[in-house]
Amino acid sequence: MGKKFDINYVLDFIPKLLSYLDITLFIVTASLVFGLLIGFLVALPRMYNVPVLKRVSQVYVSFFRGTPILIQLFLVYYGVPELFKLVNIDLSRTDVLVFVILSYSLHSGAFISEGIRAAVNGVERGQVEAAYSVGMNGFQAFTRIILPQALAISVPIFANLTIANLKDTSLAFTLGAMEMTGKSQTLGTATQHFIETYIALSLIYFVISTVLERAFHYVERRLLKHEKQLVQHGHRSRKRSLWGKPLVTRIEEGG
Amino acid sequence: MIKLSRISKSFGKNQVLKDITLSVEKGEVVVILGPSGSGKTTLLRCLNYLERPNDGTIAIGDYTVDCKHAGKKDIHQLRQKSAMVFQHYNLFKHKTALENVMEGLVIVQKLPKEEARKRSVEVLEKVGLGAKLDAYPSQLSGGQQQRVGIARALALNPEVILFDEPTSALDPELVGEVLDVIRKIANEGITMIVVTHEMSFAREVSNHVVFMDGGVIVEEGKPNELFGAPKEERTKQFLKRITSDWVYNI
Ligand SMILES: Nc1ncnc2c1ncn2[C@@H]1O[C@H](COP(=O)(O)OP(=O)(O)OP(=O)(O)O)[C@@H](O)[C@H]1O
Ligand SMILES: [Mg+2]
Repeated sequence: MGKKFDINYVLDFIPKLLSYLDITLFIVTASLVFGLLIGFLVALPRMYNVPVLKRVSQVYVSFFRGTPILIQLFLVYYGVPELFKLVNIDLSRTDVLVFVILSYSLHSGAFISEGIRAAVNGVERGQVEAAYSVGMNGFQAFTRIILPQALAISVPIFANLTIANLKDTSLAFTLGAMEMTGKSQTLGTATQHFIETYIALSLIYFVISTVLERAFHYVERRLLKHEKQLVQHGHRSRKRSLWGKPLVTRIEEGG
Repeated sequence: MIKLSRISKSFGKNQVLKDITLSVEKGEVVVILGPSGSGKTTLLRCLNYLERPNDGTIAIGDYTVDCKHAGKKDIHQLRQKSAMVFQHYNLFKHKTALENVMEGLVIVQKLPKEEARKRSVEVLEKVGLGAKLDAYPSQLSGGQQQRVGIARALALNPEVILFDEPTSALDPELVGEVLDVIRKIANEGITMIVVTHEMSFAREVSNHVVFMDGGVIVEEGKPNELFGAPKEERTKQFLKRITSDWVYNI
């Protein structure tokens, strides 16, 4: 299929594809912002053990984590307008990007809510108790003690999700959304140089992913500065306090 | 000054504290002894309202709380009047030693930052950590972390400081430095209730010893009475076992 391979097409395609980068990044950013919102709302009933809502959010999370993103795109694109028809709202003229962003937001929300739960659980209960014991209320303990540490813990989770989302947006072309991958399809069809479009495309995704990864890594290091150990104390004493058996002064409890 | 009366606490069907009544005078150093599972930690946690008693009243200073009907405000008041030093330090990991101590002063007591810093530095110097103000907990030894924990409690100027086995998570060579600090603040006349298994320390520093077993106070009294001439059979057995372990450990 297609014409003979020609490297010049790769160079030619890169700027053409890059002119659609903003749409790709827009989808990623919008779905992460909405995903954060959804993720927070969904994590709350599970963290605070709210009876019925807890079940609902569990079902939501396992559905969006357990089904392929492609199917979710189709379900949202074809299913949501049907639902709205029931209440006599016509969505047939709505921009395809709306459905794309909705799908990716719901998808990200499920992962983010799990991330939030893991991160919040990652902050020891003892620190919360210490916060209460110095007289803080629940809100102060959450914002001053849990949140800053949970954020640091969740950076790698968030980084993975962002990069996965970036790559997943390439599936939006199946609904006819004109982002980078969609554009590559039209370029390929027009020139019959498909391989070159794919090479150009993969180069772009690769560079952006790498840059994002580095950026997140930097943020993580900044947020986790309190975990860095000084060399002079080092691991020895920490390990020892875990394993070291009291020898003299401490009297073992009976029983 | 502190008066617990008829405090009860159950976890499900398991009644852990049964009708505990205890008075502590201002400036007293109370040591609570007892075998594992006797409810010592639970009692301290009830005083700080980290655990909600099912019944009874707690009075600290001029503030009395009926546990059955305690509201948010009561809990807040009680917590302001007591401070806890935890077995595992429970320092705020993302904050430096200084910030750990300042946090309650600034956020809860609403002191101006400068004043809070001044007071925190003073207290940290008192526990011997004047040179570690900007160290994070992960950069401190266990003994140093616990001393930050003590400074954090002390800075709040509470009516009573509660210690739950403050040295039992420490390497033996670090126990001494923490006990020295506790001894020092005990001598300043600060009221404290200490759960500990350090018998010689308990004997030396306390002026009121409480022996608990099975969720009740079996016996209490002056240290020389309770250590020297315990009345109850259970107290005798506990002391005998724990001192023979101690000899054995040497
Ligand atoms: N959060 C909890 N939920 C259920 N049971 C609990 C809880 N906390 C404590 N208990 C139970 O209450 C009893 C008393 O526990 P507590 O920790 O007060 O004992 P302790 O005297 O401090 O023991 P140790 O010397 O081992 O620290 C134990 O039987 C324990 O299993
Ligand atoms: Mg205990």
